[in-house]
Amino acid sequence: MAKEKVNRRQILKASGAASAVLGSAGLGMFGYEEGKSPETYTGCENQQGAGQSFNRGSYRVDRPTYQKTGTTSRPDARTEIVFMRRPAMMRQWNDEKGIDGLDETLAQYYRENPEVLELDLHLKNDILPKRQEDAPKHKDDYLLAQAWSNAMGAVSPRGVHTPPEESDFPGGNHEPLKMKSDKQTSRLIKKIAHELGSVLVGIAKLNPDWVYKYPMRGRGFDPNEPVEVPKHWEYAIVVGTPMSWDATLANPTFGTSNDAYSKSRIVAYRLASFIKTLGYAARPHTPGSSYDLMVPPIMVDAGLGEQGRHSIVITPELGSNFRPAVITTNLPLVPDKPIDFGVQEFCKKCKICAENCPAGAITMGEKEEIRGYTRYPVCSEKCHTFWSSCLGNMGCRICVAVCPYTRKSNWLHRTALQVTANDPTGLSHDALIGLQKRLYPGPDPQEYFIPSLGGSNATYRDPPWWLRTEDFIDMEPGDGDSEV
Amino acid sequence: MHSFFTSGLFWFIEGILACLVVIGMKLWMEDRGIPMPFWKWAIVACWFLGLGFTIAFVGTSLGEKETHAATQGGLIFGTVVIITGVVAWRLLHIGSRSKKTENDDA
Repeated sequence: MAKEKVNRRQILKASGAASAVLGSAGLGMFGYEEGKSPETYTGCENQQGAGQSFNRGSYRVDRPTYQKTGTTSRPDARTEIVFMRRPAMMRQWNDEKGIDGLDETLAQYYRENPEVLELDLHLKNDILPKRQEDAPKHKDDYLLAQAWSNAMGAVSPRGVHTPPEESDFPGGNHEPLKMKSDKQTSRLIKKIAHELGSVLVGIAKLNPDWVYKYPMRGRGFDPNEPVEVPKHWEYAIVVGTPMSWDATLANPTFGTSNDAYSKSRIVAYRLASFIKTLGYAARPHTPGSSYDLMVPPIMVDAGLGEQGRHSIVITPELGSNFRPAVITTNLPLVPDKPIDFGVQEFCKKCKICAENCPAGAITMGEKEEIRGYTRYPVCSEKCHTFWSSCLGNMGCRICVAVCPYTRKSNWLHRTALQVTANDPTGLSHDALIGLQKRLYPGPDPQEYFIPSLGGSNATYRDPPWWLRTEDFIDMEPGDGDSEV
Repeated sequence: MHSFFTSGLFWFIEGILACLVVIGMKLWMEDRGIPMPFWKWAIVACWFLGLGFTIAFVGTSLGEKETHAATQGGLIFGTVVIITGVVAWRLLHIGSRSKKTENDDA
């Protein structure tokens, strides 16, 4: 009995001494971490890379999580990109002449894809008039949201409107500076990208398959000549910033893409300027429609995330809540490897974006081969038709808001992310998807439509206090005696 | 914006409170004549973890303005915590000698 007491005492004494040592060491570590923590750079946390907090190291893979399954081809931006095709069609359309009144490229495309013409005309003839009917009745509801969106988009670089051989290179006889090592340069570029305001940054070797075969208008290319991928587009640096979280959850009407579009655009032009000052070529490809290439697969190649069912890239830090921009360059860099943190398996089962998409643009089915690569197809016509019908800020972004990965960075969602990323069985995916559907439901997708189209202008979540016009502005006609 | 509840000081105090809970529970169990081997402490730790998760989940959801998640999650996880609490309580009593019985024997 006495021996037992001594043993217990000894254990307690030893554990007390060990605790004192561990506790003291812990205080030292606390001080060290607090001293160097990006969170302590008040106001400049993201400039220290605080936003890119997910440790990608163990999730790096040699091949991206999309598959090359057939003969590849490059898209024709003039016809296959809805933002190029639809405005062109609407400018040229004449009811009497029909397809024959369109330019030959468009006419040929519509002859080969009559179902697309039907969807495009549906927007023009049915949806936009309904929107015009409803807009005056509800315009006051979104006044602050639109003012905020306009403010976010008010500052914009001049843009690139000349061909790569003119615009991409530094002016004068500026010889490229000799960089010490590609690895060091990559580290420098990432740090500079963060300093310039990017939250995420990654580097990829540019796959020419991602470059448009025929270009978008206004980028300095001959629209009727196929784009020959310039030799100096060796690497692609991807930068990205998030959209305001609370406003994003209040989509489709209160959020805005202008928010992150503007921030990412500015970062891209700043970074291009930095690279040119080093004497190398650099060309920004930025939102909304100043691209020569497709961004999502480059983001995947650069290891920033994986492409989800909704076709948007899902990143570990921001989910789908971000907008990227790309800088193509010949500055020698070390590309990042892609990552696999379980998104493909998760998206296969989840389908929340597809269930909540009011347009029915996201497939509930399997992946398909598109231009030689297998991924989930999205009907961009249905998507664009719905978001063109919405009041408030332009766009929709419901798929971004409802995605289970689009969650703020708190203990709950960080833990869920770690669990799903490290579960090879997929059992946690089932459990978390079930909880997601039960705990975070949204309105019936039909309710997102405008009243003229059978909805009620619903939003996924209520707008944040600072976007509620009725709380700040007296919308009654002024009688001159209101209190100020 | 830093709050006391997300600060290191808060966790320091939480640690002290956790120690007091353990000490208090140890004495309380001794008074009730309930032996506490390692596996019982493991059960207690797991149950407190579940309780803590439930409370923190409700708080986090309310902070995120996800009131539906707070109520539904509180109900679901709260029910699990209550049921496992009852089961854990029964398990803790394995091998117990009540004071009353001891006094009667004396």
